Amino acid sequence: MSQVYKRELVFIVTGVVALVMMLDYFFGKNIPGLSGSGGIAGQLQTWALIIQLMAIGLGAINLIQVHYRQISRKTDMAIYSIIFMVFFAFLLLLGLYKLFTGVELYPYTWVFANVYTSLGTTLYAITGFFVFSAAYRAFRARNVDAAILLIGGCFVLLANAPIGEVLWSGFPLIGNWFNNVGQIPGMRAFTVVGALGLLAYGFRALIGKEKGFYSEAS
Amino acid sequence: MSGQTIWDKLARMDRRVFYWILFICLTVPYMTPLGLPITVTPSTRSYYDGLKTIQPGEVVLLSINSGVSAWGDCLPAMVASVYQVHEQGGKLIVWSIGYNDCDITWARIKTLLATNVFTDWVEGEDYVYFGYCPGQETNVALLRDNIRGVYTKDVRGVATDDIPLMEDINDASKIKFVMSSDTGDAQIYYIRQWKNGPVNYVGSGQPPLVAEMGIAMNKSGDMVYYLSGDEFGLVAGSRGAAELEALVGLKGNATITMDSISVSHVLLVLAIILANVGMFATRGQKK
Amino acid sequence: MIANVAAYPSDPLVILGIWVALFLMLAIYSYPLYKENPVYRFAEHIFVATALAIGIIVNLTSLRNSAWTPLVGGNYLLIIPIILGFCMYFLLIPKQRWVSRYPIAILVGSSLGLGIASNPLPSIITQVISTITAPKAGTAVWAWFPGSPTGDWFSFVFVAVGLICSMTYFLLTYEHTGPVKPVTIAGRYFIMLALGAYFGNTVLFRFSMLAERGQYILRVLGLVPY
Repeated sequence: MSQVYKRELVFIVTGVVALVMMLDYFFGKNIPGLSGSGGIAGQLQTWALIIQLMAIGLGAINLIQVHYRQISRKTDMAIYSIIFMVFFAFLLLLGLYKLFTGVELYPYTWVFANVYTSLGTTLYAITGFFVFSAAYRAFRARNVDAAILLIGGCFVLLANAPIGEVLWSGFPLIGNWFNNVGQIPGMRAFTVVGALGLLAYGFRALIGKEKGFYSEAS
Repeated sequence: MSGQTIWDKLARMDRRVFYWILFICLTVPYMTPLGLPITVTPSTRSYYDGLKTIQPGEVVLLSINSGVSAWGDCLPAMVASVYQVHEQGGKLIVWSIGYNDCDITWARIKTLLATNVFTDWVEGEDYVYFGYCPGQETNVALLRDNIRGVYTKDVRGVATDDIPLMEDINDASKIKFVMSSDTGDAQIYYIRQWKNGPVNYVGSGQPPLVAEMGIAMNKSGDMVYYLSGDEFGLVAGSRGAAELEALVGLKGNATITMDSISVSHVLLVLAIILANVGMFATRGQKK
Repeated sequence: MIANVAAYPSDPLVILGIWVALFLMLAIYSYPLYKENPVYRFAEHIFVATALAIGIIVNLTSLRNSAWTPLVGGNYLLIIPIILGFCMYFLLIPKQRWVSRYPIAILVGSSLGLGIASNPLPSIITQVISTITAPKAGTAVWAWFPGSPTGDWFSFVFVAVGLICSMTYFLLTYEHTGPVKPVTIAGRYFIMLALGAYFGNTVLFRFSMLAERGQYILRVLGLVPY
C-alpha cells in the first residue's frame, strides 16, 4: 500500500492527462472549460512545456559530471575537458547576462554566429563523406533485394540531379516515378505500421503494461 | 600482393581518396557553373500554385524548423517562398518550433531579400518574427488555440497585443497556410494539430493548410502525406528549391548548387557501377 | 532576379568571425580527410560546450516567458509545473528517483494523448483512403502515361498491391509460410524499392550540406559572391 504513490498513482496521472488530451482533441468545443487558452487541456500542455524546458539541466549536469571525472582522473582527454568547462562557463555567463539584463553582449552573438553555427553545419554535413564511401563499399547487387535497392537508388539519384535529364530524358521520368509511385507502398506501410505501433504502445502504457518510461527497472 | 587485380586495389582503396575527390567535385562547380536545365516536378508545382492563391492581406506562417546546419537544403526554398508571399501582397508570421539558431536563419533570409522584399515590408505590419520556442508537438497544440500564451512578445520585445499584424490573430484559424521548413517531423505536428484538428478550434475560421519544404531526405516520408492531400505542396531539398526558384523567377543558391549536385551524383553513380563491375569481375575469377 | 548575393563583410570583427568559422570547419574536416587529431578534438569539445550553453540559455529564456512572467503576473497555478520541473532532478538521487515519475507522467500522458488522438487520421485513415481512391480520368498523374484518358491505373494498382504486400511483411504475429510467403517476399521487394528511393533522396540532402560547406570556403576566400 505504501508503494501506491510510486506506481499506481503515476499510472493514474498519466492516464488522466492522456484522457484530457484526447477529449480535447475530439470534443473540445462541446465540453466547457476544456479547450482554449484557459481550458484544462491548454493548462496541461503548458505544464508539459514548462517541465520539458526545465529538464535541460539534467543533460548539463550529466555532461559536467563526465568532464569533471576526466579532469579529476587526469586522463589523456583531461585537457579537452578543461577546454569544454572553460568555454561552457564563459558562454553561460554571457548568456545569463543577456537573460537578466536583456542586453546581448557582442561576444555571445559572435560565438553564436561564427562558432556554434559553423561547427553545427560542418558536423551535420560530415555524413556526406560516409554516405559516399558506404555506397561504394556496400551498394552491390549481391541478390534480388539488393539489386532492387540499387536500381531504385540510382534512378532517384539521376532524377534528382539535373545532369540526369541531359544524359537521358528517361532518367527523370523513371526516377520521378520511383519517387512518386514506386516508393509509396513501402513508405505508406512504414507510416501505417508506425501509427499502429504508437497506438499499441500508447494503450499498453495507459493500462500499465509498458513500464520503461517510469524506469521501474531502476 | 603481386597477384592483386585492379579490382582488388580499387576495393581496398583508402577511403580518404574518395572523400577528397568528392569534396573537390562538390566545390569546383561553384566556380565554373554548367547551368543545366531544371524540370519542375508536380509536388513543387503544387506548392507554387498554393503560394499563388494568397490574396493581398492574407496571413501565412513560415515555421523555421530547420537549423543553420541545413541551410544548404532548406534556406533557398524559404527565401523563394518569402519572396513569393511578398509578391502576392501577403503578410507573414515567422517562428520556430525546432531550432534555437533560427534567429540567424531569419537574419540571412532578410539579408538575401534586403532589396527585393524588406525595403518594402514594415516589421509588425507586414511581417512579424517571434523566434524560437521549444516544446515540439505540445507547443504546436498550444499555438493552435492561443498564440499569445506562447509568444507574449516578438524578438524586438514588442508585446504581441501591440503588434498591428497580430491584432485579430490569436489562433491557427486566422492563418491561411503553414510553410514548414523541416529537418524532422514538425510538418506532421501541424497536420495533426492544426489542419486535422478543427473540432478543437476556439476561433471561427478554417483550419490552415500545410505545405512542406524540408530536406530532401524527408521527401520519401512526406510524399505519402502529399499524395493523401494532407500537404498541398512539397518542396524537397535543394533540387525542389531550384525548381521553386525557377517558378518564382528568383535565381538563388539552390539553382547555383545544382551544378555541384549534378557532378557529385554522377560521381557516386559511377562509383557504384565500378564497385558492381568489380564485384562481378572478381566473382568470375574466383569461379 | 538574383537572391544569393550579399556584400562581403567589411567589419574587422565580422571578418575575424568568418575566418574562425572556416578554421573550425577545416578542423572538423581534418578527421575524415586526414585522421583523428588534437585540432579535431578541440573543435569537437568547443561545439559540445557551445551547444549546451546556448541550449540552456534558450530554454531559460522560454521558461521566463512561459512560466515566470505569467506567474509573477498572477497566474499562481504555474507554480505546480515549476515544482514538477524541479522534481525531474530527483532522477539524480537513486533512492528518491520515484519522485521524478510524476513530471514524466505529465510529459508521457500529454504526448500519448496528443499522439493517440491525432495520429490515426493522417497516418492510417487518410492513407487507406488515398490508396483506394481511383485515379481521376484525363489526368496524367505522374507524366508516366501523359494524356491517358482513363487515369493512371497502373500506378494505382501498383500502390494498392504493394501496400498490401508490404503490410503483410510486417505481420509479425503470423508465421510467413504457405500462401502468405510469396506475398511477404513481394512485400520485401516493395520495401527495398522504397529504401532505394529513400537512399537517393538522402544522398541529395547530405551532398547539399557538403556542397554548402565547399561553397562557404569559396565565399570566405572571395572566389564566389559572399
